[in-house]
This record gives sequence, C-alpha cells and structure tokens, in this order.
Amino acid sequence: MKTVLEVKGLKKDFSNFSLQDVSFSLQEGCITGFIGVNGAGKTTTIKSILGLVLKDAGNIKLFDQKIDQNERELKNHIGIVLDDGYFYEDMTMKEMKNVFAPAYSNWDEAVYKSYTERFRLQLNQKISTLSRGMRMKYAIALALSHHADLLIMDEPTSGLDPLVRSELMDILLEFMQEEGKTVFFSTHITSDLDKVADVLILIDKGRIVLNEEKDTLLDTHGLIKGDKIALDDHTRKLFIRLQETRYGFEGVTNQKSAVRQQMKGVLIERPTIEDIMLAYVGGDEDDL
Amino acid sequence: MIFNLVKKDLILAKRYLIFMLVFAIGAPIYIEIQTGSLSGGFLGFVITVLFVLYMLFNTVSMSEDKYQGSALLSATPYTRSALVKAKYIFILLIFVGSYIIYSITSALVLAHLPMLNISTLGISLFLIALYFGIIIPLQYQFGYEKVRYISFFAIFITPFVFPGILKWLHSNNISLQMMLPIPQGIQDLLPFLLAVLIGFLSMAVSIRIYSKKDL
Repeated sequence: MKTVLEVKGLKKDFSNFSLQDVSFSLQEGCITGFIGVNGAGKTTTIKSILGLVLKDAGNIKLFDQKIDQNERELKNHIGIVLDDGYFYEDMTMKEMKNVFAPAYSNWDEAVYKSYTERFRLQLNQKISTLSRGMRMKYAIALALSHHADLLIMDEPTSGLDPLVRSELMDILLEFMQEEGKTVFFSTHITSDLDKVADVLILIDKGRIVLNEEKDTLLDTHGLIKGDKIALDDHTRKLFIRLQETRYGFEGVTNQKSAVRQQMKGVLIERPTIEDIMLAYVGGDEDDL
Repeated sequence: MIFNLVKKDLILAKRYLIFMLVFAIGAPIYIEIQTGSLSGGFLGFVITVLFVLYMLFNTVSMSEDKYQGSALLSATPYTRSALVKAKYIFILLIFVGSYIIYSITSALVLAHLPMLNISTLGISLFLIALYFGIIIPLQYQFGYEKVRYISFFAIFITPFVFPGILKWLHSNNISLQMMLPIPQGIQDLLPFLLAVLIGFLSMAVSIRIYSKKDL
C-alpha cells in the first residue's frame, strides 16, 4: 500500500497543552479514524497538517513531498471538512462556493451540482440558517468537488442526529469506491467508526497511544466480565483498565489468551472501539 | 486568485455598500458647504473616503473575527499571503471607487463640489495609506477586538481635527502643496509614491505577522 500522508515527530507547544512527538502515516485506500477524548489533540494535529497551526518541530509529507514547501499544489489534493464549518455565515451557499471553488485548480462544477442536488441544498439560502446536518452536507459537497485524493474531516459527526451520521458514513464508503482515495476522520463518537474505519489512531494528552488496524485491535483486545473472586494481584495486571464493584468486575485486556488460561469462569466479549479508547485514556483502576 | 478574495470582502461588506454609495455622494457636498470650500474639495473627499473605508473594512473584519472564515480559506490552496494582499487591494479598490463617485458628483454639481486636483488626490491617498498602513498590521497582530477601539477613536476625531488644521493652514497662508525645491510634477507625484511605499511596507509586515499566526 502507498503512503499518502506521513506525520513524523510533530511537536507543538501551547501554554496549557502540547503535541508531543506525534508520528503516524495514512495508507492509500484506507479510512483512518483519529480518536481521542475532547482536548486530546485531534484538532491541533489536523490543523498542523493543514498549516493552520504552525508546528514547532516535525515533518509532514503528502505524497512524499513536504506540505509546507509545496502548499498550493498539494492542497489541491486535500478535501477538508472542519469542525463548525468555518464558513462566513452571512453568505449564501452560492456566494461561499464562489469564494471557495476558485482556490482549486481542478474544481468540478458538475460534481458540485450533483452533490447539492442529492443533498437538496437551496443554494441561495444563507449558511447561518442551515441546520447542523445540512451544514455538514454542504461542507462535504465543497470538500468532494475538486477530486480530492485525501479527505480530512475534523469531528464531522459531532452534534448530528444518528440518521445524518449514518448518511455521512455511506458517503464516505461511496467516496472510497474510487481508486486511490483516503480518508482521515477525527471523532470522539467512536460508534461512527465501527462501520467504516480500517485503521484507528488513538491520541491522548497530545501523544499517540495506539495506531493499529481496527480488526486487529478488536481481535487482540477483550472485554472481560466476572466475579471478583477471579481477581488477585497477578490477574489484575492483565488489564489495561479495570472497574470493580462490590461483587464483580469489568475490564479491558490486551492479553486475551493469558486471561483465558489464568482466569476461569470469566466472560470474554468483543470490545467496542469506545471500550478500548476508554481503557487507554481512562486511567488505571476505577472503583464504581 | 486574489481577485476572488477581494470579491469575498466585497460580499462580506455588501449590506453597507448601497448606504456607503449614497454617503459617498452626499457627504462631500455637505462637508464642503459647511467648511466653505476652504480645501478645494480635499476635506470633503478625504473625510468621506475615510468613513466609507472605515465602515466597510470594519464590517469585513468583524465577519472575519466572528466566523474565522480565513482559517478555512487558509486550509485550501489560497495562501495566507494572498489573503493579506486582498485586504490591501480591497482598500485601494474602495478608494478608487470613492474617487470616481466624487468626480461624477463633482461634474454634476460643480458649484458645490470642486474637482480634486492631482496633488489633493495624492495627499488623500497618502493619508489613507498611513491610516490603514498602521491599522491593518495592528489588527493582524492583536486581533479585531483589541484594535477596533483605536481605529474608532482615530476616525471619530478626524471631522474635528482636519477642518481645524486646514483653517489654521489657510489663515497662515500655508498651502497644501509642498514647498520643496523639486519640479511641480514630481511634487505632485510624491504623495502617491509615499502612499505606495507605505502600502507595500505595511503589506510586507502584515504578511509576516499573519504567516506566523496559529489560526
């Protein structure tokens, strides 16, 4: 598989937060979910990739070229959907498009028109009057109308109802049908990724904690439930996160076979992405 | 590419454009009548164009501050440098537009509104370049909210300060024309050259500031 985007040693210091040595790469043909709780560093990382936040150190390459040295040319290959849109809300959708579209050398008006018809967007409507769902659809129409190879989306599903979120997932899968397409999608609503993600990158407190194929991650981790009697000092160490009640426990492990061998009578379930995320970012032991 | 960004600023300012058009026609006549045409149209023109630019530029800056649309545009192939340059072109465009409106108005009601000569036009451009040449980089550095009080105060005092200065110059027989030992043609061009110099310097400073901002 071809590497589309490579982030290496990215650092950015703010007074109350910092990105620390963030490194990962995106492979062509994959939907990569970028997960983490609010404030973990997802938006800062995405803004650094797009050149909106200036990095203190590190390299960001798109198609093997440094993005800050070939900004104009390389950004033609990126479609962007930012959290909250960042649109001039006093403009109509038509006016905003007329400002946005000329930036791209390969803007395709026919593709844009087909999206706006499909989403039933009234182009003379002011952006400020759009619902959150319609605004996201408009952002998608803008992002996908210049034949982008890499679609970068920052929290696109935040605040959307389940129906619109499901529609967005379908659009992403449709986008991926075309050869050579890649999606990088940040979210804290991990259920969206169950359906579409190929790879998951977990960021917490400005550091990459996990970077793994989704199926591998779900196969190698287990959600363990059982009586408290199964727990001792040794078995407790098998868990990434463990929650104990007076009678029982629930925990996430990345040592499923060791749990199977050493803890009899416990229930081993397939975890959700959210279980795994919370296991890695939620601290060690929490009593309920 | 830059033209589309200038168009963007015009769209953001569009709700005031018609009002400003009417203002650009009426205000110079009113000011000239009130001041007794001491300045050969200079005062009416420069105060009018300063107010028109202040209103329109502030409307655009307010929208930028509120919606952060420049962040989205900076994520596209538009460069930050192009976004800054568009602001300066926007100012120049409105200045030229105001001059055209003034000239047409003057041609229609010559008795009340004298035509501007090349020298007063140059001095007007110089003053506008000076004002916005300072305000724009300040706004990029400190943001619209912090700078708007300074710009408001500066604009607010001009109708009180300018006529006083002109009356004083007039009563002391000092002309707006500069008294330099150089040919008149070059003297007339000097304010234009200074305005261009200030404009380019200010633009370079603004580009430098904006290119180092986290959006």
